Amino acid sequence: MSVLEQNFPVVQKKLSVDLKGNKTDIIICSYDDHFLVIATQIGTMGTILHARKDADISVHPTFSVSVIFGKRDEPMLVACARQLIEHISSSGTSQPLVLSLGLKDHSAETLKGIVSAVTENRLW
Amino acid sequence: MAGEVSALSQLVDSVESMKVDEKSKQQNAAAAADDASDNSSVQITCFSDIVNDVTLHFQIIRLRNQIYAWIGCDSAKLGRVYAAATTRPHNTVSVTSIIGGVSDNTGSGIARRIVLKTGLNVILACNIPKDSLMLEANAEKKLVEKLIDLGYTRPKAS
Repeated sequence: MSVLEQNFPVVQKKLSVDLKGNKTDIIICSYDDHFLVIATQIGTMGTILHARKDADISVHPTFSVSVIFGKRDEPMLVACARQLIEHISSSGTSQPLVLSLGLKDHSAETLKGIVSAVTENRLW
Repeated sequence: MAGEVSALSQLVDSVESMKVDEKSKQQNAAAAADDASDNSSVQITCFSDIVNDVTLHFQIIRLRNQIYAWIGCDSAKLGRVYAAATTRPHNTVSVTSIIGGVSDNTGSGIARRIVLKTGLNVILACNIPKDSLMLEANAEKKLVEKLIDLGYTRPKAS
């Protein structure tokens, strides 16, 4: 067995931002068929959401976002995933997004901060 | 066929008998702790291995209280995603599939056994095709070895 260390097929980025005084670690990974974004303030992946563009042939794309693990009663998390999938889609790719948010607060300010940090460091 | 079965049972025996080596675990844990305190508390480890003409890719993201691991088999597709952890009562290990895993649950066993061996809270993504027991066992062995080597495991309560 040989060990290959170069040319790892998954592109990834790691960064840390401060959002309302909470240190937030953000990891963005690009797989062959998905984007994975992890944003955590609590040391775990927290709530995991899945967002995708619907396979519609129409001028205005529609998106499906759902919580697949964790808090299902936090609309701001869903809104965050919705913003990111639209951004991904507008850059030309129709790959779905798996977004994990482990946050101490679910305020609009925090989530806007996450959306802008991710889009500034995007891999799409 | 008989050769494959005996090779598989040898591999399963070696995986089951893997023990955490206390001394090296402590050294690695100390090194990992230094690392964590220096910069971000997130550590990413990536490596690949070739097993029987198949390339296995491993990505381990260590968060403070959880581990995310991805196992890629020849491709970089995300695959099926499982969450596994010890749960109340008695710290029994529970696994649930988050993405995929309906007709094909290759990987759920790996997730469960990682938690059993390492005591970690784990999210595992795996795109190993089904019906490849040797590949699955090899991938699991490599991943658990690496987790122990990196000092990420939690000591078992006696």
